[in-house]
Amino acid sequence: MTNILLGYQPLFDLFLLHLGMAYSQWLVLRAGVFSLATAGLAAVGAYTGGILVVSLGFPAPVALLLAGLAGGIVALGLSIPLARLRGVYQAIATVAFIQIVLSLNIYASGLTGGPQGLNGIPKTVGTVTLLIAGILTVYLMYTITNSRLGRAFDAIRQNEAVAASLGVSIVRHQTLAFIISGALAGVYGALEAFHSYALAPSQFGFTFLISILAYVVLGGRNTIIGPIVGTAILLLLPEIARPLAEARMLVYGLLLILVINYLPHGIADTLIERARARRLSARLAKSDSVATTATRN
Amino acid sequence: MSLTLQNVSKRFGGVVASDSVNITVPKGKITGLIGPNGAGKTTIVNMITGMLAVSDGQISVGGRDITHASADEICRARLARTFQNIRILPDNSVLENILIGFHRHEKCSTLAAILGLPSARRESEKIVKMAEELLQRFGMSALADFPAGGLSYGHQRKLEMMRALASEPEFMLLDEPIAGMNDVESDSLAELFQELASTGMGILLIEHNIRFVSKLCEYIYVLDGGRLIAEGAPTVVLRDPEVMAAYIGGEHA
Repeated sequence: MTNILLGYQPLFDLFLLHLGMAYSQWLVLRAGVFSLATAGLAAVGAYTGGILVVSLGFPAPVALLLAGLAGGIVALGLSIPLARLRGVYQAIATVAFIQIVLSLNIYASGLTGGPQGLNGIPKTVGTVTLLIAGILTVYLMYTITNSRLGRAFDAIRQNEAVAASLGVSIVRHQTLAFIISGALAGVYGALEAFHSYALAPSQFGFTFLISILAYVVLGGRNTIIGPIVGTAILLLLPEIARPLAEARMLVYGLLLILVINYLPHGIADTLIERARARRLSARLAKSDSVATTATRN
Repeated sequence: MSLTLQNVSKRFGGVVASDSVNITVPKGKITGLIGPNGAGKTTIVNMITGMLAVSDGQISVGGRDITHASADEICRARLARTFQNIRILPDNSVLENILIGFHRHEKCSTLAAILGLPSARRESEKIVKMAEELLQRFGMSALADFPAGGLSYGHQRKLEMMRALASEPEFMLLDEPIAGMNDVESDSLAELFQELASTGMGILLIEHNIRFVSKLCEYIYVLDGGRLIAEGAPTVVLRDPEVMAAYIGGEHA
């Protein structure tokens, strides 16, 4: 039994790493920013962490914090042009940003190791560290969602005019969401660097971007549990159906098309909505008289 | 202390949508703004609420100049609004829709909000309680947990009112608040507006329904073609030949 579980440990590690990235993507979408920059910001964090440890001999925990800081600062810089854009234009601008980061990874070879990547990173992060990071991340997402910030994000995403008319500063809140998302991507980029000995320049490219976005869209955009469900399903699927592992992207694509068509709010969000609707209608039936008087008033 | 528009104009290129409009909304009273379709009512609303840049003139709330303020600053100057086409947040529950109205009063630091510190949690609990009191007052407590998108039209209008009230405004701008309502629903809202005015709130009521306006307002302004053509007590203004011409078609009829 233990052996079987141990066999799945690398998969569990991958799940935790990708879950953090998924939350980085989830948070900006929640605040109504159509940014895909998580992959680029993760690359910034990964290379910052890797370079600090390998070339400058920083201790891993310090490098991790600085990687988060780097992700947050780059996100802050990027938020200035993004605040002028909406919707699909934000998406295109952030994809362009990822391209810039990938090019820098290759061409700034003195710093990043160029096409050969950054090698010889000491492995300092294991399952326990990742699990702690995961729990902390879920906790932070929970507190943010249930605070004035989460309420402001929800309002901005659904209707900017309403949010502004109630005193919510759109630029300030979207910038904040983007900075938190960037810091999160930076930290998880560095965690990935410290977990895997080496970084490849194209590691955080288009495939990675699509995977992260797919976790959120498939799981759900408006509940905390959404990214967990999405990441778990998409990572487990190729393992359960081994013959499909080769066609991973094909399976992703098919599954996404199905979910977008039949469960447009994502798997977790749809199930939670249905459970809530059932509970409410049961309650309404029970206290029918109270509800109808309220409706009549 | 009033909401004041002084010589406010709006030009779209050569088209004049508002032509030096002067309006004063005193506290504790309901002031009406009427006019036929295309008279420029929506332009006025959008300029007051910061959604449209003012070309000329000055707008102030309680002595504070808000001519070029952004929409969120205007809310903090204690001017709230409702929308002509209802705008609730459909993904959120009824209670959550009201909670966002309290945004202006939430003072805990950003770090406390991110980390979920006790100060942020206490503040959240406090506004949940305040939102529940508002629901009680409007007789909608039983609907608190329902998704707002599924509410009936009348309930959505009430919800929008509660959300605007949550920001504790001194002035409220109501953009066609009874559009699509039946008489019973609009009568109950009329009572509410009078109650709010009696507590000292200044209300600017933009309406099509002349009967409703003349019942509630002591003073009304009539807009046509972007300029004010009459103002005064409803009984006087509505008999004004120019107003009748604007509404019924005048010499062309």
